[in-house]
Amino acid sequence: MAEQILRGIPVSSGVAIGKTYFLNRGSNTSIVRMDIDPQDVAEEKNRLHSAFTSALVELEKISEKIPGELKEQAAIIDSHIMLLKDKKFQSASKKYIQDKLINAEWALEKAVSDIEKAFSKIEDEYIRERIHDVRLVADRVKKQLYGKPSDIKSFKQRMILLASDLSPADTIELQLDKIMAFATTSGGKTSHAGIIARSLQIPAIVGIEGLAEIQDGQFVILDGFNGKIIVDPGEEQLAHYTELKYQFENYQSQVNRNCYLPAETIDGYKVKVSANIELFEEVAAVIDNGGEGVGLYRTEYSYLNRDDLPTEEELFEEYRDLSSIIYPEKIIIRTLDLGADKIATQFGPTREANPALGLRAIRFCRKHPELFKTQLRAILRASVLGNISIMFPMISGLQELLEVKKLYYQVRGELKSQGVNFDPFMPMGIMIELPSAVLISDMLAREVDFFSIGTNDLIQYSLGIDRTNKHVSYLYQPLHPAILRSIKYVVDAGHEAGIEVSLCGEVASDPYCIPILMGMQIDSISLNPQAIPGIKRIIRQATMDECKNLLKRVLESDDVQESNRLVKEMIFTRFPEELMFYTSLIED
Amino acid sequence: MVNTVDQSNLEIKIHLDNEYGLHARPAAVLAKEAQKFSSEIQLCFDGREVDAKSILDILTLAVPHGGSLSIRASGADAREAVKHIKKLINGRFEGNK
Repeated sequence: MAEQILRGIPVSSGVAIGKTYFLNRGSNTSIVRMDIDPQDVAEEKNRLHSAFTSALVELEKISEKIPGELKEQAAIIDSHIMLLKDKKFQSASKKYIQDKLINAEWALEKAVSDIEKAFSKIEDEYIRERIHDVRLVADRVKKQLYGKPSDIKSFKQRMILLASDLSPADTIELQLDKIMAFATTSGGKTSHAGIIARSLQIPAIVGIEGLAEIQDGQFVILDGFNGKIIVDPGEEQLAHYTELKYQFENYQSQVNRNCYLPAETIDGYKVKVSANIELFEEVAAVIDNGGEGVGLYRTEYSYLNRDDLPTEEELFEEYRDLSSIIYPEKIIIRTLDLGADKIATQFGPTREANPALGLRAIRFCRKHPELFKTQLRAILRASVLGNISIMFPMISGLQELLEVKKLYYQVRGELKSQGVNFDPFMPMGIMIELPSAVLISDMLAREVDFFSIGTNDLIQYSLGIDRTNKHVSYLYQPLHPAILRSIKYVVDAGHEAGIEVSLCGEVASDPYCIPILMGMQIDSISLNPQAIPGIKRIIRQATMDECKNLLKRVLESDDVQESNRLVKEMIFTRFPEELMFYTSLIED
Repeated sequence: MVNTVDQSNLEIKIHLDNEYGLHARPAAVLAKEAQKFSSEIQLCFDGREVDAKSILDILTLAVPHGGSLSIRASGADAREAVKHIKKLINGRFEGNK
């Protein structure tokens, strides 16, 4: 096979050189057939059986949680349950394992294709289309199969993982220490996969086509700087990338050495640089990279990848442990931001025409007050044991904020009457990530102790683009005048009211955007731990004067391209050595 | 036992009168209810005969709206089974989630 290059969007820097593995989740085209030994038949059948059982348990749990008014949903889930329980489905698959000596996945695939054949003969279109339900059910079983240890056999050595998509839940199930890089077909610049990759400090590419055609075990180079996968690379490429990989690792260790120095400009302006984390394990990376506390702790992970909900005790222990490791630095705990792309299956399949505009984050929590209160209690209880702040996501209006505060104070009252300790002075803040919140930030500022601007969502909602849609992700422009004005408006409104304003989007880890944020006199930024050393280094070499100057020129510009050019020019002339290894949100 | 023999091999014909024929939801309800009986229960339509306890079988039988099918049961509770399923079909699978 000759050298071949696939291109996508780079989302995490670095170079990986190694063999690929395509993670297939419910995709019919690329299931791998594996021959098994006769003595393994029983084990393989067992594996299939427990996959059916787990899928059934999962569905039954979902079914129980469907609200009574969603009769149609319930009926569909019920028919899926009956399909899973159908003895013929399972026994046909098992028969294939036995007769053909093949793995459970392939056997299931064979059984499904038999059913497909039978269905294709049905004249009634409506009933014929039910094959779709059979496939959905089979996908559930397959998902269970892949979750089982047997798949790990193929992960003996470290791999470059390829997938059509990686959801947050997927990444929990993966053996991260066995993955040296990954690439996904779906996704745009700021999709979740990129966040995960950067937090794991492994190179990654999204929005790249043709991954499924790469055979498992194929030798490739993954270039996370330029978003390239080189299949079957020649000598020259190999030499080049081996060198680049070495240089990058060298640079990183150099930058990391000085990461504990404060982020203070030459002329004495100090910015607090803290970390965004979502996994408990990342807390080590915060400290190792010189993060000044945690500016955003995403609490969703404790709710994902499980059938039940975390208890107050579990959450309390999690927050307590985290905050005590970070202490005396601060940790800002953001309350549950589930919904839309991360919806909890516990509450049944919520089909929304516009999930991003639907029941998510604080709206979801208010709809399920018991779930919300459990988390609030856990945070409050932990507040006496560390330096904790609480933050509410997705606030869209003043009334909504007041309602949330009412509930929050109600929980505090309950704790008090139960004699449970909490810190009555725990700072309380909100995310500013909706255009409406930007425009009334002066009103909101009177009600809270701090703001945190979530630029990922703010850009998405302000510019009306889905950031994971690769067809429109080119419109994701952090230097769009509307975005810059919004950020500035919020910073000014916050300062006017005497509260701290922080920023916690991807923008905070983009070297091109840093001087702009500095120029606005942002109080603190929060970013993925691995980006902290490099960003701190840039801040230490800058002056507030030049940042303000640049900001002024950019704010006067009515052309995004021109703004992009201006910031790039500044970084290029002032910090040329920083750029080689950075991927930026700013278009070339 | 005499009783068992009495009950075996029951067959009744019935007209299917719901909107889309035996599609997913009725098929699920039917299979679920059929599984509650120890008797073997078959559905016959268009010269074919399938297991009423298997939703896949019922779906592939593809009984359209207005189709007339037979229910056949053999076993200890065959009479109750046939009666129950007839009731289900006549009641258009309502009242059984």
